[in-house]
Amino acid sequence: MGDLVQAELRKTTTTTLWWALLIPTVLVALGGGLLSGLLGQSIVEVFSSSEAEQLSDALGVTPDQWKFSLLGIGRTINLATMFPLIFGAMAVAGEVGTRTITTTFLTAPSRVHAMAAKLMVYALWGAIYGLAIIGFVALGIVLTSNSGQMPDAGGWAMLALVCVLSSILMTMFGVGLGALIPNSAGVVVLLIMYFLVIENALQLGLRISGVPETAVGFLPNGSVDGLTGSVAVDLFLADAGVVPEEGVYWLRVVAGAGGAQAWWLSGLIFFAWVAAAFGGGWARMTQKDIT
Amino acid sequence: MHDGSGLIAVQNLTKQFGSVTAVQNLSFTVSPGSVTGFLGPNGAGKTTTLRMLLGLVKPTSGTATINGRPFHQLGQPGRVVGAVLEAQGFHPNRTARNHLRVYAAAIGVPDAQADQVLGLVGLGTAADRNVGGFSLGMKQRMAVATALLGDPQVLVLDEPANGLDPEGIAWLRNFLQSFARMGRTVLISSHLLAEVEQTVDQVVIVSRGQTMYYGPLDHLRQQQQRRVFVQPSDVGALATALREAGVQALEQLPDGRLAVSGVDAKQVADTALRAGVSIYGIQEEQADLEQIFFRLTSGQFAGHAPAPYQQQQGGWA
Ligand SMILES: Nc1ncnc2c1ncn2[C@@H]1O[C@H](COP(=O)(O)OP(=O)(O)OP(=O)(O)O)[C@@H](O)[C@H]1O
Ligand SMILES: [Mg+2]
Repeated sequence: MGDLVQAELRKTTTTTLWWALLIPTVLVALGGGLLSGLLGQSIVEVFSSSEAEQLSDALGVTPDQWKFSLLGIGRTINLATMFPLIFGAMAVAGEVGTRTITTTFLTAPSRVHAMAAKLMVYALWGAIYGLAIIGFVALGIVLTSNSGQMPDAGGWAMLALVCVLSSILMTMFGVGLGALIPNSAGVVVLLIMYFLVIENALQLGLRISGVPETAVGFLPNGSVDGLTGSVAVDLFLADAGVVPEEGVYWLRVVAGAGGAQAWWLSGLIFFAWVAAAFGGGWARMTQKDIT
Repeated sequence: MHDGSGLIAVQNLTKQFGSVTAVQNLSFTVSPGSVTGFLGPNGAGKTTTLRMLLGLVKPTSGTATINGRPFHQLGQPGRVVGAVLEAQGFHPNRTARNHLRVYAAAIGVPDAQADQVLGLVGLGTAADRNVGGFSLGMKQRMAVATALLGDPQVLVLDEPANGLDPEGIAWLRNFLQSFARMGRTVLISSHLLAEVEQTVDQVVIVSRGQTMYYGPLDHLRQQQQRRVFVQPSDVGALATALREAGVQALEQLPDGRLAVSGVDAKQVADTALRAGVSIYGIQEEQADLEQIFFRLTSGQFAGHAPAPYQQQQGGWA
């Protein structure tokens, strides 16, 4: 098994895809971090003006303590993990496209071994992308806001954890779907369309048709977004002092956790989606005639 | 584990792709120590059979084993069998050396093996070039190099001569023969008998998914009856003399010659001399393997002769 893992690792490091996707990942993460920091900072400045302060004092809320930049972090992670998702999708679909899958299967004790080795190597890559994402989001925020806008060390650790987790799961989801639909262009377009357009339309449709809000949290993007978004909202609320009841609803929507369950439950729900995609891809790849 | 015998055994192998029967009840064995040709016209089921042998295609029924085991029970298959297949690919942006290092790792052989096989197939100087830029023949050499990485006991090659230059073909021929002489097993497919005639000792000939012939190439040659074409001064007199001598297989050709089967030219000439018939010309037909092959396999997808070319009225229509 170690031999196959090394072979899979070499496959990923001997072509340019890993850094060709890491560059936009880093740019999105950094850009999202900068934007979150800037927006968070300026909202706080607005609330800190003397008139606003009088108003908030009257309402008994403390907006000048709110860490708005936290809300952008969840959104940024969700967007940036599109790249590890695509990286994962190319794992099997790319090999079917270049027909190296034939040699891969000819040199592995079984297809199950080959797929398991891919699973491990791509989980590692998912983690690497995840660390890059949280690192550059943090850099963006540090550059644009003062320490009052930032979570404490524990908060950062928690964000890093869910970011890496979300990146690994997204990569795995891609691997599974790429095996299920072994056509590079097809599966990449499908994934991008689904995560950026189709599910958002679906969520909107569900909300309009009056289906309970929680349904959204069970969809693939709704759940993976909830994994990071819920943590961002939790951290926000922990230091926010007083926040009006329905304000929390909008905070969740802004953070990308609208309708989502608690972060760990959202993670488990997305994990179920990953397992379904990977199981389907696995079954397809272990049965498929390679002709 | 496998028995290390180097034996390939295909038994009652059948593959159905939807309504297409690609391979039908095929059986043959391939022994170590010789090169076996796997021959058949386009669409005969050669590629499908080899892919079933290599565990890439699941048989509808029947079995295909190497060293007594189906492919997926070989343990580390890369060290037992090397394969050169038509549809085997390369990542266009990976260098030759890196490609081989990937699979050297998978098979569990040292990285040095990658450079060794590159040298062996004559691609040593192209090691750091991306395979995407390789010519067809260079890619074919890469495929051979990949097949040899694990120093396998059995080699399976599907039309490996495709795209190879004469030098490459000669190299491959010598390589396969010396490989077999080391007591290893070689199975090589082709749709052209002439292409492998000088390489192989045994042949399996398939057509429409079924075995048509299976045995040594020499037996096939001997199966072909010799024919003598003779131009006598008196066809009738020679025919009578030959019949009296016990030769029955006679055929008068439209050009006035007589075709005599089952005897050699000397016998025909001697009979003619005794009968007082002059001979203006005599020819012995060589055992033409290509013709035997054609007779064994013709039928499937036999193309129609093209209609005679006719000048179209009006030029560029
Ligand atoms: N994946 C597939 N799906 C459907 N039919 C297939 C598939 N692969 C092969 N066939 C059919 O099976 C038959 C045998 O094909 P195969 O490729 O094994 O022939 P071959 O002997 O290798 O021919 P060639 O000399 O052209 O390489 C053909 O009729 C082909 O169309
Ligand atoms: Mg073929």
